[in-house]
Amino acid sequence: MRATVGLILLAVIGVGVGISLLAIPFGAPKTEIGDYYIENAREDTGATNVVTSVVVGYRAFDTLGEVTVLFVAALGLGAVLATAGGKRGRSGVEPASLILSAGNIFLFPLILLFGAYIFTHGHLTPGGGFQGGAVIASAFLLVYLSSPGKRINESGATLTESVSGLVFVAIGLLGLTYGTHYFLANFLPKGTLNTLFSAGIIPVIYCAIGLKVGSELAGVVDNLMEETE
Amino acid sequence: MSFLHDYVYYIGAFGLVAIGLLIILVKRNLIKLIIGLSILDTGVNMFLISVGYINRGTAPIFSRPGLEPDGMVDPVPQALVLTAIVIGVAILALALALAVRFYKSYGTLDLRKAKELRW
Amino acid sequence: MVSPVLLLAVPLGLALCVPLVGKVSRRAAGFVPVIATLLNLVLSIRLLPTVLEEPIVANLGGFPPPFAITLFAGPVGMLLSALIALAGLVVSLYALSYIKTGPTVRYHTLYMLLLVGATGVVLTGDVFNLFVFFEILCISSYALVAYVGDRAGIEASVKYLIQGALGSALLLIGIGLLYGLFGTLNMADIAARMGSADPVPVFVAMALIVVGLGVEAAIFPLNAWLPDAHSSAPSSISAILSGIAIQVGLYAVVRMVFTVFGASSMLLFFVFMGLLTLLIGELCAFAQSNIKRMLAYSSIGQIGLIIFAVAIATTDSVTGGLFQMVSHTLGKALLFLAVGYMVYRSGSMEISSLEGMGRRMPLTSFAFTIGAFSLVGLPPFVGFPSKLLIVRSALVGQEVLLQVLIGLVLLATVVEGAYFFRVIQAVYFKKGEGQEARQDAPPMALFSMFVFVVLIVVIGVYPNLITDVLESGASELLERANYIGSVLG
Repeated sequence: MRATVGLILLAVIGVGVGISLLAIPFGAPKTEIGDYYIENAREDTGATNVVTSVVVGYRAFDTLGEVTVLFVAALGLGAVLATAGGKRGRSGVEPASLILSAGNIFLFPLILLFGAYIFTHGHLTPGGGFQGGAVIASAFLLVYLSSPGKRINESGATLTESVSGLVFVAIGLLGLTYGTHYFLANFLPKGTLNTLFSAGIIPVIYCAIGLKVGSELAGVVDNLMEETE
Repeated sequence: MSFLHDYVYYIGAFGLVAIGLLIILVKRNLIKLIIGLSILDTGVNMFLISVGYINRGTAPIFSRPGLEPDGMVDPVPQALVLTAIVIGVAILALALALAVRFYKSYGTLDLRKAKELRW
Repeated sequence: MVSPVLLLAVPLGLALCVPLVGKVSRRAAGFVPVIATLLNLVLSIRLLPTVLEEPIVANLGGFPPPFAITLFAGPVGMLLSALIALAGLVVSLYALSYIKTGPTVRYHTLYMLLLVGATGVVLTGDVFNLFVFFEILCISSYALVAYVGDRAGIEASVKYLIQGALGSALLLIGIGLLYGLFGTLNMADIAARMGSADPVPVFVAMALIVVGLGVEAAIFPLNAWLPDAHSSAPSSISAILSGIAIQVGLYAVVRMVFTVFGASSMLLFFVFMGLLTLLIGELCAFAQSNIKRMLAYSSIGQIGLIIFAVAIATTDSVTGGLFQMVSHTLGKALLFLAVGYMVYRSGSMEISSLEGMGRRMPLTSFAFTIGAFSLVGLPPFVGFPSKLLIVRSALVGQEVLLQVLIGLVLLATVVEGAYFFRVIQAVYFKKGEGQEARQDAPPMALFSMFVFVVLIVVIGVYPNLITDVLESGASELLERANYIGSVLG
């Protein structure tokens, strides 16, 4: 019964979407907006990665919202799991093997470095704050796997999360007061193309996002690990 | 053949959407529902990316001098997908946390067993 | 000139501060939402006279409109943002005494982010940005519904999350189709290009977007989650979900249908959907024995009435619909706040357990009665002029169909009156077993309830206080060309 209704619903949606896709041919030339961004992004934002200049330049407000969504989810996850009763330590978990724990000692700083590289170079190469943040969180995941007793410093994570979020908002508000008087407008020098210190506020925002996403995802992993013991 | 060539990404994307939707409509195990949501999200993201593709396009990054803007794909859908992926992850994380709590209070992941709330 | 972006950036910044404040003092964290909503309320009211003359369009990032995200602060946006800030302020005062247990710092942060999401939805002029803020609103409400952590809360939150996530996936497909068709995400730009488009894909995109947003707006077949979520959440959250969240969802639907798609041929369909939602909501509410579920179904009914009024699409009826939004926010939020403490004292949500409350909690019961009278539409409360306006606007056109339908609306109002009077009868005219000592809600909670009571009476007696805003809001929604003109210049 349920399956039949589902299939009928799918058929209706499928036919509708199928017809409308005929109006959007695959691989057709770009839209006006896409063209504009590709032509002007280097001049407008100083970033050579056009996707970055859209994400943190033209549509930076979406990104602020996106960071907030992740913040909401991390908080919500904490709130949902916190009501389950007090925090329990993770005792009685078998320690990890020598290979894992020794490898972790080598890999942990390298992964952190790699994550930092990805988010500081977001305006030049593929990558950015979210990707870099996810890499950083994976370093913490490795720590959990290799030494099950360890916990992240919760105050430190909260502090990083809040302060890096505040940096993002503050940059936006500075744009409103300095320079062109628009929220999230660039007020720093754009520098030379294709160098690390270029693109005005973009690398600063991406560093803030990288730290925020890294600490949030590490917190999410921490909360879920604790709960599943 | 040219139809398949023109629409293969759309077909793939909406195939994933259909699989995800069907799982959500038919299955009653919470983890399977969450997997369905995840597949659905992937399909939607793939659809968004396909909308921005141009034939024989490259990534819109001027990583070295001399790259021509003409051959680059539309950057907007890529930016949108970046946002959509993060939102998808956020929903997924919250859903998994709720699944943990659901299992704790009911001892099962079967939604049909949850009967606190019925009219 | 003050930029409307401050309405979003300042509360967001303060919300990020809440965990830091919470580290210092858990109690102080509860005051941050009070400050943020107070600032927003002052700013919204200060901006209102400006936007009545000319809407403020803020291009974020300093790029020209179709290329940057645009905030559009028109009369509707400012009215709703003021309403969100007002309800947010009163409910955050109430929460100071109501939310005592659990992870309170996280509660206050999520609560503020919920309000930021709602404000963002009503101010944005960009379809994808609408999606992002919509998700902030939805995800924080999923988490807050499960705040108490009992079985009912978890189950309701799971249902809400699954249906909401499905809705947002459909919404995103719709937005993708719009971008594919028009190559832009700016609402005004899409609206300007709408005329030349092929109608079938546009219709599909509209259907997907309306269904996606309709889950949150509780339009009839999509509202299965609502009674569970609104009844299982803590009462302060129920007040915000019923008073603000669904109306924001509805605003998003109206904005898309009226401004972006300009779908005047679809409006009759929405008139019927609204009526259906109204009748089903009120009839289900009548059948409930659980007071919070009854209020939740009553919200569905009220949303149906607003859809009905707005979809008639005359200046008067849209004014009436917006007025009904205001009166529903005030009335329903007040009812949930009052019921919150009544349920807390009696320990049960059954209506029968509220017997004798009139003596045990006289002031709370009085506030409940005012809210109920206002929702039913009795003078001199705010529900009366709003319902009167809707009825009059439907009758003025001399259309037989509308005259028949308005009869059904009045029938639904009678049903509404019946179930509210049943509760009031239980509260005042039945003796509860085991007379307990008189003990009213704490002073802060009573204060917040009486803010709503005063507003309900004052606006009910002097509806002219806000009719200017409502009328220019109606013309903003009905005149697409002005919207397009003021954004694209």
